[in-house]
Amino acid sequence: MHLARLRLQGFRNLADVRLELPPEGIALVGPNAQGKTNLLEAIHYLELFRSFRGVRDAELVRFGEAFFRVEGVVRGATGGGEERTLAAAWQREGARKRVTLDGVEPERLADAVGHLGAVLFTPADLALVNDGPHERRRFLDIVLSLNEPGYLGALQRYRRVLGQRNAALREGGAAAIAAWDEPLVREGARVFASRRAWIAGVGEAFASLHAEISGGEPAELVYLPALPTDARPDDAETFDESLRSALRSSVDQERRMQTTVVGPHRDEFRMRVPNGGRLRDVRSYGSGGQRRSVALALRLLEARTLEEQRGRAPILLMDDVFAELDEARSERVLELLERTAVGQVILTAPRASDIRLRGDRLPRWSIRDGVIQMGEWGP
Amino acid sequence: MSAIDEVTRELARLPGVGPRTATRLVYHLLRGSTADARRLARAIELLVERVHPCARCGAFTEEELCAVCRDPERDRSLICVVESAFDVRSIEGTREFRGLYHVLGGHLSPLDGIGPEELSIGPLLERVQGGAGRVAEVILATNPSVEGEATAVYLEGTLRPMGVRVTRLARGVPVGSDLEYVDGSTLAEALAGRRDM
Ligand SMILES: [Zn+2]
Repeated sequence: MHLARLRLQGFRNLADVRLELPPEGIALVGPNAQGKTNLLEAIHYLELFRSFRGVRDAELVRFGEAFFRVEGVVRGATGGGEERTLAAAWQREGARKRVTLDGVEPERLADAVGHLGAVLFTPADLALVNDGPHERRRFLDIVLSLNEPGYLGALQRYRRVLGQRNAALREGGAAAIAAWDEPLVREGARVFASRRAWIAGVGEAFASLHAEISGGEPAELVYLPALPTDARPDDAETFDESLRSALRSSVDQERRMQTTVVGPHRDEFRMRVPNGGRLRDVRSYGSGGQRRSVALALRLLEARTLEEQRGRAPILLMDDVFAELDEARSERVLELLERTAVGQVILTAPRASDIRLRGDRLPRWSIRDGVIQMGEWGP
Repeated sequence: MSAIDEVTRELARLPGVGPRTATRLVYHLLRGSTADARRLARAIELLVERVHPCARCGAFTEEELCAVCRDPERDRSLICVVESAFDVRSIEGTREFRGLYHVLGGHLSPLDGIGPEELSIGPLLERVQGGAGRVAEVILATNPSVEGEATAVYLEGTLRPMGVRVTRLARGVPVGSDLEYVDGSTLAEALAGRRDM
């Protein structure tokens, strides 16, 4: 599966353009602030229909334009040569977004996400390691929403119940609060169980990916569901029981704080790497190199999950990923990608000399001031 | 604002009618006979003049009590609790239910400032308590959304101590859907398969 054609209109600083992309991908070379990341942002928009940089749609429209539009044609989405057209447009007037799959507007936006099948690597991925649990929950939610049927629905219902229950905690009497417990338990247990199953399932893959990147260091992923330590179930089937009793025992604290204090909205997962002879939380104890290895391993894990789920190699969007890796790590990541990434790779780098992927066989494209050109720029 | 714009705006506020459909309807009315348009306007006027909630159950009626509450053949030991008067119509459409109704007028939604006091729960409790033991079972047919479910949980906790049997529609109804979008046979099955809460 690969992105065969891309059409851009009014997107950030990028000139309006129609591109034909080769199945193996491209290496886009250009100095910083020319629009390399904007191109990856535009492509990735077709996966989630929002910016991976977390900005509002209004900020994606080029200055002075009324709208932006991104259209991509994915070839081989179902294994054969058939094509699928994904398009998204947003106009300033009325702040209207229109997303179409093969020209048809899906009933819900949730039905449109994930059809590109892309995984994005950026230097900002370091936030997965360095920032608070919110970033890691977001990572889990995106991976699971894209790969596990029913997860997104359960998560959305969970968030709704949580909002209602917290409002009841501020206003309501005991019975009016308790009414939300069972819906919260049902949706929450579902979210807990999916997260735990995924983390348990990819534990070995994470360790081996991390070992390859770091040159043999062990690592582990640990899921910490937001339940009292003694109430964390051994069995995914009993998450509902655990959550129910945790809710019961935190009633007083909840009334005082006027918010729900247990449940998947407060989940955390940790990545542990060697420090002083044992495995410790990388967020507190990791070196710069260890942090980068772990962030990369998480993205590669995301790619692997997508590949296993769909039976197709994902499109890898790599934004200047080697810039901050040391020589040895870059070398090993390149080797790993040469060996395992069989799909399309769209990568960016500030200098042509930074790109060694696929024995330099990736076609070199260049970008200056938002204008993309096949081949390198002349003198 | 011109009359055309005004009617278009009013029609566009109706569910399932966007600005384009509203405009089409307005031009259709203007192209057709004046008598047709007048009849429609008069019918809408009569609708709002004559129809009001039933004094007992809250379903729509033109009398003081609705046809169901007036019907001596209905089983008075059975009350089916629904969110809206439209749900009464859906369940009546199945012809499977022979009891009475109670319309709550919505569901619990603290985010929108809707607590138990904002719903017709007090009158329901009065009907159950004041029925001199004649009400044997209350069927909670709130929507299968998270809000409908929480409303059912709340009602169950309030009704159970009164010694009445409390049941809930079977889960044939897809989660997150409104009763009004559920087809008649699914609804009939859900009614027949109701379970104690
Ligand atoms: Zn009535």
